[in-house]
Amino acid sequence: MNKANKKTWIYRFAALAAVLLVAAAMFIIGRGHTVYFDNKMPENASGNIEVPYSIEVFVNGEKVAKLKDGDRGMAETMGQNFKMELLVTKEKGGKTSKIEVGMSLPYNMDGIILNLPAMLAGMDESQYLTEFIPTPSSEDTEDEEVVTDDTEGLMDFGE
Amino acid sequence: MSEQTQPITLKERVRGAAEEFGLPRLIITGFLVLLLIVSPFVGADLPTQISNIINRFSWNGILVLAMVPMVHSGCGLNFGLPLGIISGLLGATLSIELGFSGSFSFFMAALLATPFALVFGTVYGWLLNKIKGGEMMIATYVGFSSVSLMCMMWLLLPYHSPNMVWGMAGKGLRTTISLEGYYTQALAKILQINIGNLSIPTGAILFFALLAFGMWAFLHTKTGTAMTAVGSNPEFARSAGINVDKIRIISVVMSTWLAAIGILVYEQGFGFIQLYMAPFYMALPAVSAILIGGATVNKASIMNVIIGTILFQGIVTMTPTVMNNMIHLDMSEVIRIIVSNGMILYALTRKTEGTK
Amino acid sequence: MNKYNVSDILRRFSVPIMFVLICVICAPISGLSPSYLANEIVTRMGRNAFLILSLLIPIMAGMGLNFSMTLGAMAGEIGLILVCDWQIIGIPGMILAMIISIPISALLGLFCGKVLNMAKGREMITSYIISFFINGIYQLVVLYLMGPVIPIKHSTIKLPRGYGVRNTVSLLSMRQKLDNLIPLSIAGVKIPVATFIIVFLLCLVIVWFRKTKLGQDMRAVGQDMEVAKDAGINVERTRIISMVLSTVFAGVGMIIYLQNMGNIATYSSHSQIGMFCIAALLVGGASVDKASIGNVFLGIVLFHTMFIVAPKAGTVITGDSMIGEYFRVFVSYAVITVALVMYETNKRKNKSKAGEQLALDQEAANE
Repeated sequence: MNKANKKTWIYRFAALAAVLLVAAAMFIIGRGHTVYFDNKMPENASGNIEVPYSIEVFVNGEKVAKLKDGDRGMAETMGQNFKMELLVTKEKGGKTSKIEVGMSLPYNMDGIILNLPAMLAGMDESQYLTEFIPTPSSEDTEDEEVVTDDTEGLMDFGE
Repeated sequence: MSEQTQPITLKERVRGAAEEFGLPRLIITGFLVLLLIVSPFVGADLPTQISNIINRFSWNGILVLAMVPMVHSGCGLNFGLPLGIISGLLGATLSIELGFSGSFSFFMAALLATPFALVFGTVYGWLLNKIKGGEMMIATYVGFSSVSLMCMMWLLLPYHSPNMVWGMAGKGLRTTISLEGYYTQALAKILQINIGNLSIPTGAILFFALLAFGMWAFLHTKTGTAMTAVGSNPEFARSAGINVDKIRIISVVMSTWLAAIGILVYEQGFGFIQLYMAPFYMALPAVSAILIGGATVNKASIMNVIIGTILFQGIVTMTPTVMNNMIHLDMSEVIRIIVSNGMILYALTRKTEGTK
Repeated sequence: MNKYNVSDILRRFSVPIMFVLICVICAPISGLSPSYLANEIVTRMGRNAFLILSLLIPIMAGMGLNFSMTLGAMAGEIGLILVCDWQIIGIPGMILAMIISIPISALLGLFCGKVLNMAKGREMITSYIISFFINGIYQLVVLYLMGPVIPIKHSTIKLPRGYGVRNTVSLLSMRQKLDNLIPLSIAGVKIPVATFIIVFLLCLVIVWFRKTKLGQDMRAVGQDMEVAKDAGINVERTRIISMVLSTVFAGVGMIIYLQNMGNIATYSSHSQIGMFCIAALLVGGASVDKASIGNVFLGIVLFHTMFIVAPKAGTVITGDSMIGEYFRVFVSYAVITVALVMYETNKRKNKSKAGEQLALDQEAANE
């Protein structure tokens, strides 16, 4: 009896541990980031940085943006490992070169701005990677009235 | 083993004591008293607060009173209150449609609501007789079904009074209809007392007192005592030669009629008729009010109605003002939901004596 | 064996038959194309099946329709709100939300089971009131505690006043991620394969569960509590377990439901689903004390066909779009009412039959 009990407890702990492990794994692999790509001169540029004529960005084989000088594009990604392919055209009508970039995104940032010219110039991560802090739109700051009623949903069945 | 039994008995004893005093009721009373004491200090005007409570009492008292007959006959709490309310609404809208105005329209509304209440009540009572033991759940759904059926009817019935129908379409009743020029304050303004900020709607309270007295007197007639007998022990009642089914139908009809009158009194205080979904929101507050007043699923007195309505309406009116003034955080809605439903839950889970 | 004559069958299946009639009449009037209808129904099947399946276990344990399945739904919503704020997206987000919801649902189910054990014989009305009561607690948590006590970072979720969650929370980052995990479409009808696989797994679990010792106990408790008690079954515990299971499944089901919808109506999603899940199950021919997996799927098809078709048909007939809306709500409530009435009358009939049988037996014994 006691032995069986012990066994049950071991199974329970194992199950709990497995669930917690899964949860932890989900935290890591499921973290979503929004990555913004800038194709423009970084604000406090040091050293020589060239802004190419156009950059096409591919994430997971999908074209997410085609950026002319001064454009910004974005992509939603999941997890910290971020891979993209860049098709860089230096000058109009010039040759395009394909560059594969793999990097690890910082966990605590929701939105990340990558300055592509700075990155291509081989600069330090702190130079080309900045956090995107959204300015709250007027809609966000507008106070909304919360409608709560204990009998709500009795007539409105939704869709 | 003996060590283990000790805390259990203690726990049981506490539970027993709580059950005896009706702990939730004690807490609610204490809470209201606290609110009343605190309110002058946080800048709420006490006379205004008290007249608010009295006013709300006069609006809601009869709806709560409507619970009494069905509890007495053992049909449980009348979650089907919306059915009676609909009879009242039919009376109210018909009275306006037929062109009555002023305080007289209140009388006509009550008169016109009565046949509907009698018919609906009889059918409803007949249905409840078929399903003895499962009254409360089915009552709930009878209420829901009738409200949603009437939602269609308010749109389809041939009402024409320009004060009630949608202006653009010229048909279909509006969701709220103003009673200005009809029976707004019809009862309240009779013998109304105004002292400073304190105002008492004497007429409406007298009307409630009249009906409450009538109910009390009825429960002491032969039919009334038979009703109590049916509620407390149907087998015994049957063997004593009481027609159980008939008595139960009478109780349901009474409850339905009181609900119809109750909504009219509510409207005269509130000043508007609310149609469509509004009756949905009426049953649960009335049920929890009578339970807060000390009633159980199979026992209710006029005193329970009065105390319960004052306590419930007191909390509903006081919490928003006091909390807002005190901490600038209006949690009254959440408190109301938790208190009123918690009270119903408490009543449902108590072991009821005798048969249910 | 003559018992199953035509009138009995008609009586038993009266609700589904009525619905077939409504659908057959309204569908052509509504003017909706068959492919649109098929698409909608398949979507709704994936969306709702898991939720409705969660109702089966308490029915097995004789506790009637579990109106407090909304408790699980609330737990699921809390999980999703938190996951949204942590920016865990896609399928991992769903899994994490489920993991968060499970302990909450289990606790709520435990509470619900304990309360229902104190209210034997009126489980349904009690579970119905529990759903309102816990809704109050849910509002307390979501409206006041989220922000100052439970950290919520993003202004897209939090109200501008600094505490409480907005009326709607967008689930754009996990919208239909499960449905589209394995893309498949047959004759223009998009099929959420992965969702169906999960629903199918739950069906298997339920079938298997019925055969386990616990499942057998549960059915015994559902048949007759006294007899089960005499047979040495811990009735109270069995009933609590059935509530816990139902609530946990409802929580997971709600997450699947909401990933399809793509947003949470924070203060009303849960109360909506309670009503129409129960109505759908009953439309499928289930009763308060007997329901099968078949009822679930038949119910979804019939109920949702009515649900899509009725407002359109109502608009065509009366020229007023509200009539059809009210009509479908009325029909849903009427169905539940009829099912409850039929259950109670049958119960009384069986009781009096049993009484007669007892009297006959006694008479025979006396002779």
